[in-house]
Amino acid sequence: MEKLKLNIKIFFQGAYLSYVGLFRWLRPSTYFATLVFGPLTQMLFFVLIGTYAQGSTKAQFYVIGNALMNAAMSGIYGVTMSIGGERWNGTLPYLFGAPANRMSLFLGRAFMHILNGMFGVITGLFWGWLLFHVDYSATDPWALLLTILITTFSTAGLGLLMGCIGLITRNVMFVNNTVYFVLLVFSGANLELSSLPRWMQMVSDYLPLTRGIASTRMIIAGQGLTEVIPLLVQEFGIGMMFALLGYTLFRWFEFTAKKRGTLEVF
Amino acid sequence: MSALQKLRANLRVIFMAFEIEMRQSFTDAFVLFGIVVQPMIVAFMALWMLKDQVADYAIFVVVGSGMTGLWTTLLFQGGNSITGERWTGTLEPLSCAPAPLRMVVTGKLLANITQSLLSIVFCYGFISLIMGLPLSIAEPWLFAGSIILTVVAFIAFGLLIGSLFILNPDVQRFQNGLEFVVYIFSGFLFPIALLPMWSTPFSYILTPYWAARALHAASSGTGNQQEILFCWGMLILLTIVYVIFSKYLFRVILKKAREDATLNMQ
Repeated sequence: MEKLKLNIKIFFQGAYLSYVGLFRWLRPSTYFATLVFGPLTQMLFFVLIGTYAQGSTKAQFYVIGNALMNAAMSGIYGVTMSIGGERWNGTLPYLFGAPANRMSLFLGRAFMHILNGMFGVITGLFWGWLLFHVDYSATDPWALLLTILITTFSTAGLGLLMGCIGLITRNVMFVNNTVYFVLLVFSGANLELSSLPRWMQMVSDYLPLTRGIASTRMIIAGQGLTEVIPLLVQEFGIGMMFALLGYTLFRWFEFTAKKRGTLEVF
Repeated sequence: MSALQKLRANLRVIFMAFEIEMRQSFTDAFVLFGIVVQPMIVAFMALWMLKDQVADYAIFVVVGSGMTGLWTTLLFQGGNSITGERWTGTLEPLSCAPAPLRMVVTGKLLANITQSLLSIVFCYGFISLIMGLPLSIAEPWLFAGSIILTVVAFIAFGLLIGSLFILNPDVQRFQNGLEFVVYIFSGFLFPIALLPMWSTPFSYILTPYWAARALHAASSGTGNQQEILFCWGMLILLTIVYVIFSKYLFRVILKKAREDATLNMQ
């Protein structure tokens, strides 16, 4: 029981401190520029291309897709920087030297970014309502909230994996940006998945976000939680798969780095 | 020193800065992302979204996506051309050297923009060879002229944003968001007529807008010669304005570095 309490404490302390470490020295303007202004301009760009191509009636499709991409922004960039940042800031030896439970420590790095991602998605949907008059009148708010939570969790799972890769590469931003843009194509945020070649649809089946975006579109169109539950279970499963893969790599890197004395080798 | 000697000395500085920047940035994976990965992904998405809607859409997408690569590289590489010197601790020595700082930055920007022209080449190859769509440039000579003017205009724009970023870090915080703002206001992949009327003056004062308009008109053959020449005139006019304004900003930078010694305290 004592051990469980200690692990929970490590989880939340790690979550809070890594988040503070990431944003502490920044001003509110940086937070606003990164998590509000940037995603808004990206959404506008893709919604405008989409409405140029297919008319303003299709705005809802692009608004929802790009609002959900905000989950990926926090999940991938935020989580990766929280984990990869340990190496850049020279705190990795202390982390690996501490006796703290690794699972709590590792998963805790994603916690604040999941909340951040949810805030980003809700902000994106708000912009959609304000600027493109997206209609949410048929939406079940609790089902939507659960969908956003699960989608943000699954992208954070991918972020945990990317964060581990950030521990062994110098080009973490290249990897992050590529993964983020790949998600833009394969998740169905901006393209109808059914119109893509079969091999692309198969790839999108194994990525986070795909089912989250589809579920959100269904819920906003008026469907209930029961209709989207199978998709959400799969989305959660994919997030868990990536998080566990990331954790396995994290432990393996720790073991190898300690054994070979290559901790923080760039 | 005679005017001719001064010109030769400045050209030598530009060439040396060009060479060093080329060597350095080709080892940066983020540059590869900006000139290869991102434009091709944007091209793919734009192709899929615009395929049934826009006449001559393939060459329109090549130019538009290539322009996104050009601007992304200018924004991040060019925008950090002076700030990067601060990060590496070479800004003060550089500002106190007899070689004019503006010439050094011009050489760096020339290297960045020359590299980023590859994004158009990659998009052309991707759409032509991999997607198998026929591509032809309607007015090759006017297109070549537009490219040359675009390079010069982008250097002037880089001088402006590079100096603004170092003088006011609050502006630089919006660097990520500015990427898509210029995509939108410059009409890289959709006409600015889709935007509200109040935003049109913002497009008109941006050289990327006139560059995109000239390149689209010359490549697709949708504009007549007069329209392209008018765009060239606007590019030249705005380039002169940017250069004059950047000259003033560089004077402020040098004053802060040499007299106030406060440049590193922004």
